Amino acid sequence: MREVTCELCPRACVIPEGGAGDCRVRVNLGGKLRATTYGRPSAIHIDPMEKKPLYHFRPGSPVFSIATAGCNLHCLNCQNWQLSQRGGEEMETLYRADPPDLIKAAREEGCRSIAYTYSDPIVFYEYVYDSSELAHREGLANVFITAGYINRKPLRKLCRVLDAANVDLKAFDEDFYRRVSDASLRPVLDALVTLREEGVWLEVTNLLIPTLNDDLAMIRRMVRWLRDELGEGTPLHFSRFQPQYRMRNLPPTPAEALDRARREALDGGLKYVYIGNIPGHEGGSTYCPTDGTRLIGRTGFWITENRLTADGRCPTCNEEIPGVWE
Amino acid sequence: MSVRIRHLHQRELRFLGLLALTALLIALYLSDELRLAEQQGRGWRSIDLEALQRRVETGELRDREADWYRPSAAEEIEASGGRP
Repeated sequence: MREVTCELCPRACVIPEGGAGDCRVRVNLGGKLRATTYGRPSAIHIDPMEKKPLYHFRPGSPVFSIATAGCNLHCLNCQNWQLSQRGGEEMETLYRADPPDLIKAAREEGCRSIAYTYSDPIVFYEYVYDSSELAHREGLANVFITAGYINRKPLRKLCRVLDAANVDLKAFDEDFYRRVSDASLRPVLDALVTLREEGVWLEVTNLLIPTLNDDLAMIRRMVRWLRDELGEGTPLHFSRFQPQYRMRNLPPTPAEALDRARREALDGGLKYVYIGNIPGHEGGSTYCPTDGTRLIGRTGFWITENRLTADGRCPTCNEEIPGVWE
Repeated sequence: MSVRIRHLHQRELRFLGLLALTALLIALYLSDELRLAEQQGRGWRSIDLEALQRRVETGELRDREADWYRPSAAEEIEASGGRP
């Protein structure tokens, strides 16, 4: 039995020959760990950047979005469980798209960015890295949509080729991570700090689930940590929960709970706090933190108004808004 | 003191057989659960290897070597001739 230990994520799976890691797609074949979904995505879409969600990175631009099977988390409320909670050998759809094919397709579709998203791209790390390197050479940007459950060394290396990331911070509570996602909080916080240190544009999403992580005291602690460790200009997205997968027993998040969380985060010192999954909500737009001018108006994933100056400032008070606005 | 030995009746034998079968089923169930628990504790999953290899052979999946792994400690010791 030639066992291998995977060092990509904090699970550190010890995998016997013929077995897969907890993610289902990193398989020990003949004593060597194989990335079985390299160049074989199961989902390819063109999305608006706002869907990721990234609100301060190339707003309104189309992004070529891909994912393979597998995930290193097992959230009870997973939105993409048909993709994330299966191995490559269980998928009906497997596209053949090695990195050069991917870049070519993105360019043909008029996309200037590629998003590694839907499932957690950590599990197809090598595919992300090679594609991102090539994308940079071709002038495309790379965005990484992740839960951030990855070890520091591989993340630091990946940061060299990433331009933006949205990290799903599921709750500011170890117990929540253990019970809902079968993971732990600490590595996710470390990943957030690493992304910030490495200069990758960073936004954070928190899916608010009724009774599980909507406690205002917990939100206050999370906001304080984000402000102190990542900076007050870090955009935070509170997203509405919809019952699905193995968590159908809870109702969708009431709009009032999202409003309360947003107010708490703004009072706590974060400057850009958004509400997601409620189309038309005023919390989906970007406002100047100094004079309150609405800078980017949004309805759902669509931009209805963009008043930012070309260099990313408020047109009335000249406040500089952090982000990548090209 | 006299000891009365009574032979088991057919009905009692059947009952004992049923008890033994139940105990065996419980033991099998528990050992399977223990095996799964041990497997999960080490973080790996068993997969349909045949299906995977078939799809690798047809090119639907890949066998590209992954980054970020190492042989487990026992393998390393073996490879170094027993010197850790």
